[in-house]
Amino acid sequence: MGTENPGRPNFPMRPSSTPFASALPTMTPFSSRGPMVGSEASNIRPIPPGAPPTMTPFSSAGSSPPTRFSDPSVPSPPITSVPSAGGPFQQYPTPPFPSTVQTTPTRAPPVGQPPFQPPANQISAPPVSFRPQSQVPPVPMVSAPQTVNFPPSSLNVPQPPSESLFSGPRPNFQPTLPPPDLSYSTTKSTFQPPFPAYPSKQPAVSQVPSPFPAQQGSFMPPPPASSSPFSSQQGSYVPPPPIAAPLGYQSRDQMQHPGSAPPIGGIQTLTEDFSSLSLASMPGSIEPGLDYRTLPRPLDGDVEPSSFVEMYPMNCDPRYLRLTTSAIPNSQSLVSRWHLPLGAVVCPLAEAPEGEEVPVINFASTGIIRCRRCRTYVNPYVTFTDAGRKWRCNICSLLNDVPGEYFANLDATGRRIDLDQRPELIKGSVEFVAPTEYMVRPPMPPLYFFLIDVSISAVRSGMIEVVAQTVRSCLDELPGFPRTQIGFITFDSTIHFYNMKSSLMQPQMMVVSDLDDIFVPLPDDLLVNLSESRNVVETFLDSLPSMFQDNVNVESAFGPALKAAFMVMSQLGGKLLIFQNTLPSLGVGRLKLRGDDLRVYGTDKEHILRLPEDPFYKQMAADLTKYQIGVNVYAFSDKYTDIASLGTLAKYTGGQVYYYPSFQSGIHGEKLRHELARDLTRETAWEAVMRIRCGKGIRFTSYHGNFMLRSTDLLALPAVDCDKAYAMQLSLEETLLTTQTVYFQVALLYTASCGERRIRVHTAAAAIVTDLGEMYRQADTGAIVSLFCRLAIEKTLTNKLDDARNSLQVRIVKALREYRNLYAVQHRLGARMIYPESLKFLCLYGLALSKSVPLKGGYADAQLDERCAAGFTMMALPVKKLLKLLYPSLIRIDESLLKPSAQADDFKNIMKRLPLVAESLDSRGLYIYDDGFRFIIWFGRMLSPDIAGNLLGPDFAAELSRVTLHQHDNEMSRRLMGMLKKLRESDPSYYQLSYLVRQGEQPREGLLLLVNLLEDQMGGTSGYVDWIMQIHRQVQQNA
Amino acid sequence: MVKMTMIARVTDGLPLAEGLDDGHHLIDAEMYKQQVKALFKNLSKGHNEASRMSIETGPFVFHYIIEGRVCYLTMCDRAYPKKLAFQYLEDLRNEFERVNGAQIETAARPYAFIKFDTFIQKTKKLYQDTRTQRNIAKLNDELYEVHQIMTRNVQEVLGVGEKLDQVSQMSSRLTSESRIYADKARDLNRQALIRKWAPVVIVLGVVFLLFWVKAKLW
Repeated sequence: MGTENPGRPNFPMRPSSTPFASALPTMTPFSSRGPMVGSEASNIRPIPPGAPPTMTPFSSAGSSPPTRFSDPSVPSPPITSVPSAGGPFQQYPTPPFPSTVQTTPTRAPPVGQPPFQPPANQISAPPVSFRPQSQVPPVPMVSAPQTVNFPPSSLNVPQPPSESLFSGPRPNFQPTLPPPDLSYSTTKSTFQPPFPAYPSKQPAVSQVPSPFPAQQGSFMPPPPASSSPFSSQQGSYVPPPPIAAPLGYQSRDQMQHPGSAPPIGGIQTLTEDFSSLSLASMPGSIEPGLDYRTLPRPLDGDVEPSSFVEMYPMNCDPRYLRLTTSAIPNSQSLVSRWHLPLGAVVCPLAEAPEGEEVPVINFASTGIIRCRRCRTYVNPYVTFTDAGRKWRCNICSLLNDVPGEYFANLDATGRRIDLDQRPELIKGSVEFVAPTEYMVRPPMPPLYFFLIDVSISAVRSGMIEVVAQTVRSCLDELPGFPRTQIGFITFDSTIHFYNMKSSLMQPQMMVVSDLDDIFVPLPDDLLVNLSESRNVVETFLDSLPSMFQDNVNVESAFGPALKAAFMVMSQLGGKLLIFQNTLPSLGVGRLKLRGDDLRVYGTDKEHILRLPEDPFYKQMAADLTKYQIGVNVYAFSDKYTDIASLGTLAKYTGGQVYYYPSFQSGIHGEKLRHELARDLTRETAWEAVMRIRCGKGIRFTSYHGNFMLRSTDLLALPAVDCDKAYAMQLSLEETLLTTQTVYFQVALLYTASCGERRIRVHTAAAAIVTDLGEMYRQADTGAIVSLFCRLAIEKTLTNKLDDARNSLQVRIVKALREYRNLYAVQHRLGARMIYPESLKFLCLYGLALSKSVPLKGGYADAQLDERCAAGFTMMALPVKKLLKLLYPSLIRIDESLLKPSAQADDFKNIMKRLPLVAESLDSRGLYIYDDGFRFIIWFGRMLSPDIAGNLLGPDFAAELSRVTLHQHDNEMSRRLMGMLKKLRESDPSYYQLSYLVRQGEQPREGLLLLVNLLEDQMGGTSGYVDWIMQIHRQVQQNA
Repeated sequence: MVKMTMIARVTDGLPLAEGLDDGHHLIDAEMYKQQVKALFKNLSKGHNEASRMSIETGPFVFHYIIEGRVCYLTMCDRAYPKKLAFQYLEDLRNEFERVNGAQIETAARPYAFIKFDTFIQKTKKLYQDTRTQRNIAKLNDELYEVHQIMTRNVQEVLGVGEKLDQVSQMSSRLTSESRIYADKARDLNRQALIRKWAPVVIVLGVVFLLFWVKAKLW
């Protein structure tokens, strides 16, 4: 940031982690590292004026390719972050220094550079190292050691510059720096590990522990700990101690405002300023230099906006419908200034807590009351006039007649006298029983059809056994008894049908090996009524695992088998569950190993890998939807299975993709069991269609999620349940809206498992505003993030990952800039980063999103299949689950395990979420990381062996990757299991498998947990503070 | 062979149950379903129909029985023995009344007894093949008399309703047109009156005017 001097117009958007840092000593020692640094420190090139001397010694660093200019928003080149995801971590928590937490910042960059040398990782953190330098100038006395200290301890350091940017650290810089440079250059030849960069292991380690105490005020220069070369350097360089003392606690602040004013004075004014601000509850602001600990974090999980319900108490609950802002702009120009998505996220079947179930209304012979013109359903916002004989539609304002049977007189205030008996006129969410006009056929029975891969890999992984057992145990709970229908097909290189006629003793298997011309060997009895053929079905499931246990067939005729299943099911529709273990290799729809090719990344062809390869899949999905068949794909392979193609089936049929990479029944069995059971037994809406209507002048233009669009605005959803949400964006049709309020109505027409045809209607109102500020005030981060997520994932299907992340960042920046223009001047917030209170987590979620599996990094950061599977999953997640996935909870549990009697009631107290930074992890603690899809239980290195022993039994000393968590016979273990159980119950849509990891167990720890600490710098991605800084800088740039 | 089975309430034509995946083999399944619906509508209008009837439609025949205000209807091939078809319907009726008898009147939503489809499905299979021992025995059983059951054509049956509709339409048109005629006649009458007397009035007026002018001038 220091680099952002006015003098540098050509590199306006330079990432904070810029030139000096890298150019400076940090990088220097390792000439070899030059290139990799280059990408991050690309700015080096331009800088020279500032630091010619610096550069000279390390020609290699300087010459590193300045790749990054064009694209400052992404601080670290994803491309570089190649293979050694594990690499960086290895060294990080070395045993002797448990408290290394602080090192986090340093850790991040390494990933980018790994190829070169793992040990160097720590050192390299260019951004970190550079910051100190920027500070150096203003406070001339700052000593080398200090700078050393800071990087690890405070991420904040980088921020200050934003304020001070223009003040011109430059001039100072030059004079001050030369000496160090000189010293370096001299020293360089002698030792590799020169000072600020933590070049080598030893220095890094030694410093790590120190930073914290230093901050605390004691500010001990690290030298003592540091290795000899280091200290020697200091000596040659500057006298550290004197400064250290005064700086003490505040040092950070001082550092932050280097150029602008006398350090101390600046701090004071700023702090005053800040406090006044926070009192005034004006737009939130982040003062750049502030402690990272005070940055906003959603530690309470998702908070639904209250304004939505408060202003219009008859609105449906936000769990069903959330608008990205509950203040709808009244004009095109206002829309164009609102850079965030404008739209809604709908979860029509969200699970309602006890007592808040949606009331069911039967109009019977009256017929459902709807507007003649726009077909809106009667709702709480319609108004009755003409003594109750007419009603005015709230959406198109047409005057409709009230049918005779529905007539009721109006009282003096114009309310119907029977209001309290008419839930549809009071509640925002109701269900109407649909009359015959809403049926093209009698309500279908719930139907489950299983298409199971039985090739050798499926047998080996144990998947078949788990599936068979699970299905068998769920037979009693399948919805829709006694109409439920069930059927099975298995396949390898041939297709096996099963006759399950109720009169048979055991199923008859029929094998069809003609893959080119698939036919169904029996007219019926392949799909049977479960209650009648129960015995046959059970016999089948019992024998299924043993039937194929000696199968050595490696082929997979997936396409033909899918066609066969389609032919069997097409009469009724229903749910098709596909269990696929290998890449489809025979018949139509065979796929090839197009694989993850490193070379493709970063080119225009990158996105093709994420698209289905064979049009067969999309065509098939369209046919399946037409016949009301919803597909859920369970994929298990340890090798590439082209989820991008398989998942298409789920995407266009309103289904879901479950992915269990390298499935082993011993490890993942439990997860599959729970998720399959949930899939089979949750309440499902069959043969559904959904439409959302809205008032005149606005229109929903695009829909995002897993479904097929049947006409311009009708979503076809063959099978939908409470775990699916759909997002849509709206646009203004008229240039100016003149009404005060706009209404939205979601209608889902579906067949319930019990055989009733119903229409679920959610109605909501929102105010139309003329003021951008109001829009920001009523914005809903959750909905915005959800829409962002879907847009970004869709973008990865047509663009590079990089582009998707950039466009996300650009939109956030634009939005904040607009907000800044609105308020910065009037609140004299000058150089501060300001944001609306309602969007205080937006930046963090934006960061989380760009680090999420479908979007993160490049080739090496996630396997292609994993990426695609996560993409399909996130396209369907409801807001709450998505936010939890983006910002998982991290909970410390060792204390509560030790407490003598932790009862159920203080469960909430225990569940105190911690920020996702490595500092949160104490090596004496035991932590649970919960992202809604898995638990990672982290054992600190210094965790008392008691706890570990109790929880893990005799295995506690073993490598944790081979240990599974199960209950032992002691209080502590029981309590932990109880706790996990409760966590799982609070979020049943997926099963969270526990992964155990011990601190320092590399690379496992890194892969499982450390990469997910998203506020930390990692693998060439920015940490939270850096991210904020970047955004802040970009916001200011064109402000 | 039984192609399609439907059960509906006679009073309002509300469908109560229907065979599972009925008619998906047929090309014109939709058309036949429409005919059935029209038929139910006719019945609910209270055209007095026999409680048992066969109605031919294309290559198929509808057989229905009406018992306890519920109509049980099935569609079979023409070649399918009438006797078996009515046996089948009787079976359905017995079971349906046994299971749902009490709730038939109160059912408020369409397909309220859709669960009955499993029984329909099961029973249908029993009757699928006319040559099973069981069905042959039934055929030979003379106890059940079907000869008197009327057979009519679907056009005829649905036509009755259509014709009635036509007649009432025509009569209503007649009324309205005669009313218009009366109005027009009255209007013409008035015009004729005016045309008849207008010249006389004008002539008289002129004469009087002349008299008046004369009186003034003189």
